[in-house]
Amino acid sequence: MLLTLFNILIFPGLLFLCACAFVVEYLDRKFYARLQNRVGPPWFQPVADFIKLIAKEEVIPAAANVRMFSVAPLVAFSASITAFFYIPLWKINPLLSFTGDIIVVLYLLTIPTLAFFIGGWYSTSLYARIGAVRTVTQMFAYEVPLFISVLAVALLADSWSLSEMALFYAGHPWLWLVNLMGFAISLVALLGKLEKAPFDIPEAETEIVAGIFTEYSGKLLAILRMSISIETIVGASLLAAVFLPFGLALSPAAGFCVFIIKILFVVLLLSLLRAVFARLRIDQMIDFCWKCLVPLALAQLLLNLVLKGVFI
Amino acid sequence: MHDSHDFKIPVGPQHPALKEPESFSLALKGEKIMGVDIRLGYNHRGIEKACEERSYIQDVYLIERICGICSHAHSTCFVQAVEEIAGLAVPRRALYIRTLVAELERIHSHLLWLGVAGHEIGFDTLLMYAWRDREIVMDILALLTGNRVNYGINTIGGVRRDIDADEIQQILKAMDTLEERTKYYIEVVTEETTIIERLAGVGVLSHDDALRLDAVGPTARASEVKRDVRSDDPYAAYGEIPFNVITDNHNDVYGRTVVRVKELMEAYQIIRFALKNLPEGPIEVKAPRKIPAGEAVSRYEAPRGENVHYVKANGTENPERVKVRAPTLANVQAVKHMLKDRFLADMSIVVAAIDPCFSCTDRLISIKNLDNADTKIINWEEIHSYGIKWYAERGVDFSDLNKRFAERMGNR
Amino acid sequence: MTTEENIISELSAKFNYLSGKITIQRPRRIYLEVGLENFLEVFDYIVKKLGFSHLCTITGLDEAQNLGFIYHLAKAPGLLINLKTSVLKENPVLKSVMEYFPSAEIYERELVDLFGAKVEGLPQGHRYPLTDDWPKEQFPLRKDWKLAEHKK
Repeated sequence: MLLTLFNILIFPGLLFLCACAFVVEYLDRKFYARLQNRVGPPWFQPVADFIKLIAKEEVIPAAANVRMFSVAPLVAFSASITAFFYIPLWKINPLLSFTGDIIVVLYLLTIPTLAFFIGGWYSTSLYARIGAVRTVTQMFAYEVPLFISVLAVALLADSWSLSEMALFYAGHPWLWLVNLMGFAISLVALLGKLEKAPFDIPEAETEIVAGIFTEYSGKLLAILRMSISIETIVGASLLAAVFLPFGLALSPAAGFCVFIIKILFVVLLLSLLRAVFARLRIDQMIDFCWKCLVPLALAQLLLNLVLKGVFI
Repeated sequence: MHDSHDFKIPVGPQHPALKEPESFSLALKGEKIMGVDIRLGYNHRGIEKACEERSYIQDVYLIERICGICSHAHSTCFVQAVEEIAGLAVPRRALYIRTLVAELERIHSHLLWLGVAGHEIGFDTLLMYAWRDREIVMDILALLTGNRVNYGINTIGGVRRDIDADEIQQILKAMDTLEERTKYYIEVVTEETTIIERLAGVGVLSHDDALRLDAVGPTARASEVKRDVRSDDPYAAYGEIPFNVITDNHNDVYGRTVVRVKELMEAYQIIRFALKNLPEGPIEVKAPRKIPAGEAVSRYEAPRGENVHYVKANGTENPERVKVRAPTLANVQAVKHMLKDRFLADMSIVVAAIDPCFSCTDRLISIKNLDNADTKIINWEEIHSYGIKWYAERGVDFSDLNKRFAERMGNR
Repeated sequence: MTTEENIISELSAKFNYLSGKITIQRPRRIYLEVGLENFLEVFDYIVKKLGFSHLCTITGLDEAQNLGFIYHLAKAPGLLINLKTSVLKENPVLKSVMEYFPSAEIYERELVDLFGAKVEGLPQGHRYPLTDDWPKEQFPLRKDWKLAEHKK
């Protein structure tokens, strides 16, 4: 009981994730800044920002639905953290596991997006509403390729459980190379999920101010930002567990190092993509997802079906 | 947004896409813009009226402050008109120096624009790169004139500062660096897929519409309208300098971007030519304090397009009338046209593509005094002494600064 | 003959009342003045027949009894005609040139706000450049308008 509580609240749960979130945010900002030939923030900047926001006054628009407006960030925050417990991080068995947990993780990762929509919509600001609609429109575009490519991997492993998948790939060490295309697709989809350039359409500053976040301030904004950072880590861990399933059978210390390297790799890749592309328009984004990503994801699915039928 | 037929979204007076206060009210249907309502005038400072109450030489500095980006454009345009009325023959060296500063200003303005354009389409890396390189030209401007903006180089009858061999070397070196960087930007703009996706086919202004709506500057030139005051109605030293008027037939934001980056390349050539052929001689002629009665219209190709000043003199120390038409005002109709049936996401880049400068467009000095909430008018002397006091309280003493400056000038 | 002189002779031939009233101040700058009654026909001729198809701006002037308006019309390459007309201050009515130049809208609104001109044919719309709560009958660019008085 005490151990579970420790696991949930401290390691590898809430506290550990928050600490990671600061580190990841710092690395992302620093790397992004260096790519743009800037100096970038000092290491404590994300913590300083967080403390500043917590200390700030919270302003809720008079017309907003207060309950929905304030609950949305918390929902997003807890959903991201919950998803983390089901992902094998540095050992084959995650904290919690059952058959079909991969579906639950994907579902839990969708909740922050929906929470953002609800928060944006109920803040009643025009900009936030446009942002909210864009968030959901975009969700329908990137979720499909993401789901197909993740499930293609699960199909090859013949399991709906993340830990069994990890076990399968540990038994077939080089098979993960087959799924590289799926990894690329998921990475792009993850950019959409995290609303980062070129898919930062729902919070496009020069068009709709800050989109769904326009009316958020103080603690609520701090939680929102934190949940996005955590979502980044959880998303990166999911990609690492599904597409880069090696090093899980090592000793805990070595496994932990491999895990950190994998997460950093994914996070820095995301920053790189953010730095080299311009923001797309919503119609272009949807076109791109449905016309490029979905066929590629289906090709991955087909490839895995054939592989499975013929070789394994 | 099922009931969104009359979804009106305010963009401005305060909005991140606009760096200055103007209001665009967009009627949206989904993401599509059905109508645009533009309200200008938030920045009207009554500079034209203020000019009538000041002497010509004070006006040069006031006019220079119409706009921070194209300050030299406005001050040159104004002094040209005054010189024409007074019948002053400005020394050739002064004309070359004006041209030089004008082109340096164009470089800084176009690089600034490139950065802003990058930001508007969510490509901040381009913003950071372009503005980093813009520092090079800002440093050169500071070297030549002592200021990064509002150079104060013009005076009636010539320029106030000469340029020496060392400065020429530094400019040439900077031009080489900038040329190399510009080549890289041309490559980025013409080859990077997401940029092209966001720029091509956006904000279309056909050749006929550009003519009909009197578009000016790069906006017109990107629709193949060969309209450039520098070659049509040469002023300063442009009549003696060979250069190409850059046009493009894309008619869209992409075309405007291409025109601007190519104009950068032309600007480097103009600067090199001007420095190579810089005539010797004095840099100013003495201008009378009282300008004889008369009128003159002066045109100038500012980085944003044609700048028109009309000055009427009545034989006294103060002008009778000064009229300023900044390029952005001429392009407002074109923007209205370009935004129709476009997407909300295109709004900011379409507006940015004319390189709007609303402080140029609007020209009353009205200072809000926060202590007693109502608006208070501060006259010129008060604001002057206030400025000196403010800095003195913070340890900056201008009398000392002036002395040191005089010493430095004496050393040269 | 230079292009400028050609234009003068063409204009003088077409409109007798203009002969001797057109001046070339310097190359590419032509100045002429017409009464309001003849303004539109001369304007029409310059725009449509002479091809001055670019309106740079419209300048308003306060000339004691009259309000003067200068239409700066340009033609490639570099020619500029400054066509001036004036109206009595008591009844400052002039016709809009928006059917020739859609871009004239903003310049004409400026004349309305700053000089108190009444422009016929100007569509309804936002005022420019003054604020919506600007007091009536206050025209800042008229010579008798002083900022200090207005503030009282």
